[in-house]
Amino acid sequence: MQDVVNQVINTTFGWNWPSWAIALIGYLIVAVILFAIAPFQMLFLTLYERRAIARMQDRVGPNRVGPEGIFQPLADGVKIFTKEDIVPDAADHWVHFIAPCVVVAPTMFMFVVLPWGPGMVPVDLNIGLLFFFAISSVSAVGLLMAGWASSNKFALIGAMRAVAQMVSYEIPAVISLLALVLITGSLSIVDMISYQGGLFISSRDVASVPDWGLGWFIFTPVGFLAFVAFFIAALAEGERTPFDIPEADSEIVAGYMTEYSGMKFGLFYLAQYVLNFLLCAITSVIFFGGWQGPGVGWLYAQAITPVNPQGGWVFNVLAGVLGVVYFLSKTYFFFFVMVWIRGAFARLRIDQLMDFGWKFLIPLTLVNVISAAVWVALTKWGAADGLAFVEGWSPLVRWAVAFVVTLAMNLGAYLYLARIFAHSQAERERLDDEVLESLINVV
Amino acid sequence: MDLLIQIIFGLLSALIIGAAMMVVTVRNVIHAALWLIASFFGVAALYLTLEAEFIAVVQVLVYVGAISILVLFAIMLTRSSEGERLLTQHWWAAAIISLGLFGAVLLPTLVGHHWNLPLPTGPAGTPESLAGVEELGRGFVNEFLIQFEVAGILLTVALIGAIVIAFEERSRRRRVLTLSEEHILRQRQQATATAAQAALVTADAAD
Repeated sequence: MQDVVNQVINTTFGWNWPSWAIALIGYLIVAVILFAIAPFQMLFLTLYERRAIARMQDRVGPNRVGPEGIFQPLADGVKIFTKEDIVPDAADHWVHFIAPCVVVAPTMFMFVVLPWGPGMVPVDLNIGLLFFFAISSVSAVGLLMAGWASSNKFALIGAMRAVAQMVSYEIPAVISLLALVLITGSLSIVDMISYQGGLFISSRDVASVPDWGLGWFIFTPVGFLAFVAFFIAALAEGERTPFDIPEADSEIVAGYMTEYSGMKFGLFYLAQYVLNFLLCAITSVIFFGGWQGPGVGWLYAQAITPVNPQGGWVFNVLAGVLGVVYFLSKTYFFFFVMVWIRGAFARLRIDQLMDFGWKFLIPLTLVNVISAAVWVALTKWGAADGLAFVEGWSPLVRWAVAFVVTLAMNLGAYLYLARIFAHSQAERERLDDEVLESLINVV
Repeated sequence: MDLLIQIIFGLLSALIIGAAMMVVTVRNVIHAALWLIASFFGVAALYLTLEAEFIAVVQVLVYVGAISILVLFAIMLTRSSEGERLLTQHWWAAAIISLGLFGAVLLPTLVGHHWNLPLPTGPAGTPESLAGVEELGRGFVNEFLIQFEVAGILLTVALIGAIVIAFEERSRRRRVLTLSEEHILRQRQQATATAAQAALVTADAAD
């Protein structure tokens, strides 16, 4: 973006502006585009979710406003804007007012490191992945502020639940990504995507593989286990249905949003849908190659890039469009999976949620980190690192051996942990029932 | 670029110092905690202006995302509001102690620091990245191994301690009954109560 701005201002108009002004204008344009995209994603996703869940429940869903109901989100927006903003008398007015902003702002920040297509990333931070999750944890503060400032028991309980859930499920999410960071050797999201070229095998692990943009991490045992753990943790972080305990409407009204109305409520809604979009996007970027897909790599190789300044700009456009199409179709597919899970599962209890996170997901992801280390050792190390016996093998053999070993490790760990977990849950149910019986049969 | 950085630095310092002042002057404890979070955030932004991205992100992750939540939880679970107990009689003693500590930290820095160093000139090349992930990782397993291990053991001990405390709590607590279970419990209790009353009545009648 900056070189385009530079071209227009300094070469075409000949104004000779300093480089910091060019940088500022470039970033401002990108920021404006992203701020415009985020609410539209939310508008689209609300309609998408309502229509999809209606189909699953054998209903029609909103289909009156515009063809197939496509203007329904606009009608909802008008309704939310014109509603009266009610602040409870006992509320802490300032904190009550700021809380929605503190919840929305981090979700907007997270767009900073999200790559949309080849060469289309707002800022390529070298710690992009960590930035994404560090910023997402800020919204927990906003939730706590909202719950506390409402001075309402339901709101406070909801906020406590939301924060406990977010803090616990951040750990498996980050550890499962740590395994892939070990394999990639970089925390930059752009590097993680470019690692996933190839054909079911990453072309970085085995250089001779044709680059069809299909060397996604999901096709490795480490990546698959990390994906399952991460997606479950993402459901919890985005407060999607099996984990929608913080706003369980049959128990605590609407959780931390209980005392909000009008556009402030709308902001919480916005934050939630944008966060869900971002979680789906990061899932598709890290495990499914983001914009990687057949054709994008070839198109981008012909385009104008720092490496290849003699390319044709048509290929820039084509590679960008194709990449964004791949990326968004993967992202919307994962959002569909989220809706699908909402249609299929009931809500968990809070103790089940905590048990599952701490006693099953975290040990599983820790084992996955060890498998990732084994993977790296078998595919990349040599005699210098103390693994002389792999030196003679061809890259494909090394890859195959790593695949089999990590598959065995992960499968064994999963089966073992699943057995232990089921056993402990059964034991706990039995104890609970015993206590209950002794209570009920009291004379 | 320099001017821009100077302006940003000024705004950030104003934010940090202002928020820190609010932390100690605001009466409501929760508000103080929230101002503290704002101050943490400003410090993270300050690291970003130094191009220490990893440190900045870790600052947000640890201080804003975890420690502030811990502080808020602790305040909310222990007391609702703290009004009059805020101003004690011995504020001057506290002021002297904190001034002394502040001076002890700041004075050696002020005295020993060489001000107005000339700007580094010469071949710029690629500037050495400040405290990147790799340098920190290598430092942890080579130079600062002992400190790293000690911190690890400390955290493990804290984790085990928390689990032990939670276990003790748990043994004194039972599962919350669902509404239907509570209903059954009520019914049975009522039934036994009426049965006992009926027995009492028949016993009275027999007398």
